[in-house]
Amino acid sequence: MRSGTVPSAAYDDVPYTRGGTVERTDVGALVQSAVGGDAAAWKSIVEGLGPLVWSVVRAHRLSDADAHEVYQTVWFRFAQNLGRIREPEKTGAWLASTARHECLKVLRNARRLTLTDDPQLLDRVSQDGTPEQSLLEAEEAATQSERVRRMWQEFEELGDRCRQLLRVLIASPPPSYQEVSAALGIAVGSIGPLRQRCLRRLRARLEARGAM
Amino acid sequence: MDGTDGADGVRDGMDDDLDAGLLEEELRQAAAALDPLPPALLQIAVDAYVLHRLDAEVAELTFDSLVDAVPVRGTEDPPRMLTFSAGEVTVDVEVTAHGLMGQLMPPQPARIEVLGGPRPGSSLTADDMGRFTAAPPSGPFALRLRTAGDVIETEWLRT
Repeated sequence: MRSGTVPSAAYDDVPYTRGGTVERTDVGALVQSAVGGDAAAWKSIVEGLGPLVWSVVRAHRLSDADAHEVYQTVWFRFAQNLGRIREPEKTGAWLASTARHECLKVLRNARRLTLTDDPQLLDRVSQDGTPEQSLLEAEEAATQSERVRRMWQEFEELGDRCRQLLRVLIASPPPSYQEVSAALGIAVGSIGPLRQRCLRRLRARLEARGAM
Repeated sequence: MDGTDGADGVRDGMDDDLDAGLLEEELRQAAAALDPLPPALLQIAVDAYVLHRLDAEVAELTFDSLVDAVPVRGTEDPPRMLTFSAGEVTVDVEVTAHGLMGQLMPPQPARIEVLGGPRPGSSLTADDMGRFTAAPPSGPFALRLRTAGDVIETEWLRT
């Protein structure tokens, strides 16, 4: 299937440099078990890689409704193709790539229908009193919460490219570079330097605001 | 330039890596607190396991007007034209705000289930000419077609 194809296999030999893959070394085995009828294995896959799919969708700045539908489409398609995944150990990259292609379709369609941006997205951070914030403030010291909020705001205001890259990188657990490459259609080799650069830029913004 | 040259150059290398790692981790925690995967979505993906069926052949999307066609100027809301193929069988689908129309080729009757997620979908039949209609799907959908000999599922898609 076209949309599930990983962009390039040219970086297969590049060693993993990030911790996320440690937890994921057994994803191939989990997929095999799920194919054989093991619902618990399926659940482990969803719990391990669901946040990555969510990050990819969020990185593309879809509306909430679109984001929810793309997320579901990706998992429905993965379930449908479960027994046909050629490289089960690369399931994370398959999911990330499928999510990316669906996001690009949504964006293409949106551009065709309307040119207006969704102002909700821009306001998301500045809104007060969301449940997440209340929870945070109850659990943590107010200063810590303020710091998190401010960091998120600076992150949201980074340039598109940095915001997109970092949004995928900060999935929990951290994705491998191969997964990031599949999620964003960029070469594995360029991720490290871009990451450094984007984090430096974020740091500079935080320092300028006296938040570091 | 990135502002770390000159006297600040000592910050490059190991320290910089460490700083970057810490900052990234802090940002990861912020994402987990402020933009987490909604629990309902996690649950839907868990439930989606029932969509895994070994007996069905998947008909892949081979044409999508959204991707493959030049937009028609002056048409505000053109129908979405989709073609799915599995071996000799193709399914042409046209989706508008008013409904879904389909054509199974080669023409043959079939029982069809319109799936919208893990729960059972609505059922309909294709006539002897392989034609069928349904309500427009809201959100992701797939068609499960039972012909005389096969079970075919169209690739999951959102309209």
